[in-house]
Amino acid sequence: MPARRFALARIPAEGAEELPVEAWLAALASLPAVGPARLRALLAIDTPAELWTRLQGPPLPELVEVAGKRDLYEQWHRTAIGLDVACLWTRHREHGVGVAALGTPGYPAVLCDDLEPPAVVFHQGDPQVAHGPRVAIVGTRRCTRYGSDVAFELGRDLAMAGVGVVSGLALGIDAAAHAGALDAKGAPPIAVVGNGMDKAYPERNRGLWRAVAERGLLLGEAPLGAPPERWRFPARNRIIAALADVVVVVESHASGGAMHTVAEAAARNRVVLAVPGPVRSSASDGCHELLADGCGPCRDADDVLLALGMSGAEAVPLDSRPDPDEFGQQVLEALGWQPADAEQIRVRSGLEMSQVAGAVEGLRAAGWVAVSGRWIERVGIPR
Amino acid sequence: MLATIPASVLSGITGHPVSVEVHVSVGLPTFTVVGLPDAACREARDRVRAALLSSGVKWPPGRITVNLAPSGIRKEGPGLDLAIAMGVLVADDQLPAEALADTAFLAELGLDGCLRAVPGVLPQVRCMEANAIVVAPESAAEAALASGPVVRAPSTLQELLSALRGEEAWPDPPVSGLANARDEAVDLADVRGQHMARLGLEVAAAGGHHLLMIGPPGAGKTMLARRLPGLLPPLDESTAIEATMVHSATGLDLPSSGLIRRAPWQAPHHSASMIALVGGGSRTLRPGAVSCAHGGVLFLDEMGEFAPQALDALRQPLEEGVIRVNRATAAASFPARFLLVGAMNPCPCGELGQPGMCRCTPLARLRYARRLSGPLLDRFDLRIHVGRPEVSDLFDAPPGESSAEVRKRVDRARAAARERGAASNSELPDDTLDHLAPLDPDAKSLFSHAIAEGRLTARGFQRVRRVALTLADLAGQEPPLTGGIVAEALFMRTEPVTVAHDPWSLPNARP
Repeated sequence: MPARRFALARIPAEGAEELPVEAWLAALASLPAVGPARLRALLAIDTPAELWTRLQGPPLPELVEVAGKRDLYEQWHRTAIGLDVACLWTRHREHGVGVAALGTPGYPAVLCDDLEPPAVVFHQGDPQVAHGPRVAIVGTRRCTRYGSDVAFELGRDLAMAGVGVVSGLALGIDAAAHAGALDAKGAPPIAVVGNGMDKAYPERNRGLWRAVAERGLLLGEAPLGAPPERWRFPARNRIIAALADVVVVVESHASGGAMHTVAEAAARNRVVLAVPGPVRSSASDGCHELLADGCGPCRDADDVLLALGMSGAEAVPLDSRPDPDEFGQQVLEALGWQPADAEQIRVRSGLEMSQVAGAVEGLRAAGWVAVSGRWIERVGIPR
Repeated sequence: MLATIPASVLSGITGHPVSVEVHVSVGLPTFTVVGLPDAACREARDRVRAALLSSGVKWPPGRITVNLAPSGIRKEGPGLDLAIAMGVLVADDQLPAEALADTAFLAELGLDGCLRAVPGVLPQVRCMEANAIVVAPESAAEAALASGPVVRAPSTLQELLSALRGEEAWPDPPVSGLANARDEAVDLADVRGQHMARLGLEVAAAGGHHLLMIGPPGAGKTMLARRLPGLLPPLDESTAIEATMVHSATGLDLPSSGLIRRAPWQAPHHSASMIALVGGGSRTLRPGAVSCAHGGVLFLDEMGEFAPQALDALRQPLEEGVIRVNRATAAASFPARFLLVGAMNPCPCGELGQPGMCRCTPLARLRYARRLSGPLLDRFDLRIHVGRPEVSDLFDAPPGESSAEVRKRVDRARAAARERGAASNSELPDDTLDHLAPLDPDAKSLFSHAIAEGRLTARGFQRVRRVALTLADLAGQEPPLTGGIVAEALFMRTEPVTVAHDPWSLPNARP
């Protein structure tokens, strides 16, 4: 039985010469637990096509050493026998996913002289997009309304000023930044993703994912079919840091993916800016730590443009929201810019509870406040 | 040699008349009970024999056969004890049959000859066609509610026998009152602050709208809900009888007057099974908590912790006001028209602080939100957030309005609903709303905004409209409904669990 499988797998391998080097790289990247470091180590041994043939044969000591563990090598061996490289290559072409190997003309220039350049990148959309100035907007998935508003605003204003917004298409801050960039219809957004481009992750961002692929650029190190495994995201963060001229942290908990991106940015001498938040909000803890360490504050897009050495952004669109009525005005004054619940607003404004309830709902319909659960928050941007 | 005594048994919450036939004949001394008795019923043999002997009556030597007719239905419980004892005495000629003519018996016997109360006296008395009925003194008030037969309530077998033989007069029925006078000690005036929750309770009581309170642990959700029965109007005649029958059959305490007038309160723990909640059982069909809350309040604390299956079983009674329970051997339908009040935390961590303080991941919140199914959630017209009271409210504010003051407004709103032909606004049919609750332009634009935002379904729209009508009734406003009133009603229907502060996910992001 094993002999027969081997024979079957050899048939497409007969035409090995016809497949480009990218196809073999995609196949190597599809091996279980092969990240940037292992891929680099493998490529130091032999050419991709030769490596593949060697993996199908008896175990070689240097390959086993790269795998580290014997059973991982066994998995590679089985994958190398079972996987049809030509078929994988065809799937990439069908999905419109471009594959660029390091050192070939299609490879993003900005990544060429990086500390750890990916040996191969996969992209969907227009690769030319990565040329102009780029700013990464990163932050937590567990963001507050304040954070997602600021991220949206930054994304929109920077895109309008012609700056490519780089982020990771995760929930929370990432999604808000991309949504803002798409809203501006300015410079196209760039998303660096952790899994194969055949499946949107997280599922809830499917719409954003598609929109970025259509109007901007999706970039990643994972071939089609690669699941969103945990270890892929730190590697993804390093590409975000490498792509960006400036990294802006909008909201981050004291330890989080965004802080990892900041560390990668620091290793590459990129400017890092942090958005200040309420000092009591744990969602802003990471930003405040950065600010305390001497990182520059980011209050709006102008701060970012200054760090990029560009002039101010274009005029912000006019506030189109209808003026609040009398009760609404009182509620807004009592609310301020900190979240409050209806009971607090009642105490501060001196209105009746039913008046507060009515006024808040009116403000919400007009776009002045957002209600999330018990909390009522003032919204900065008109939508 | 043969005696037939009318009695009854309970099935579900309805009584079934039973004839107790006793035959005493010459033969070896035996005592058999036939006619599908259960264990408690078969043990009647020993209780009856001991009770008769200790009351100074001779036990007939010979063969005694007791038949419980109709023989096809199962007889459960000890309620036939007294009837069997009487049958034995009549069949043995120790009592004249005429003395017992048209008299039914319904009590358990103690070994010393005392009469003990049994559950479900009211429904059982209602099913019998006797002129007089003998029950234990504790059941006298309840039996009198049937307003049919004359109620006799001797406390012992001896008293009963001497009255039947005409040696002494029937003892007076026990004086009701005093002993059971448990008055509602909880009042809304004890609640400081919490104006949102007070408003929610008032609207729920006035319009019969189901209420979901969402708040961190310790915010006072249970304390607030406990005050809702005090705001509800007293039960009307038929509901009071139905509620009393359920409570009687279930063996719950009845008020001293016998009739339940005050809205009942049921608060089952979240470990309750589906059967405990809606009623049922394998052989004996018992009413569940929903039926015990008939006419009153069913309070489900920690709603997210209930078994999803148990919660979804509430949907039918919420819709129809009755619960029909079917088993292979029996079927019963119990009344279940109640006001549902739920309480839950905003997220698994309880969200003690402000936004940004919650430690739950978006996925954990999403999972928590799914504990309540959409259809069940949709039935809560009022979903309000309850926070911890403001410090200034705890110390400086004057005490809030008392339950009595709020009840005046509730009564006014209920009267307005009655003029529209419903007990409360929540029961108004959809097709009458266009006519009864027209909208002014402001209100229309608020509704269209909420529907466009995806916050409101078509059914949700009608439900909010009913709440707005109740708010208008409470404020003494005439239709059409204004924008302010509708905004208030919309605000009182918030999303229970904030899934994520992530308004950018799918729909807005489309280019």
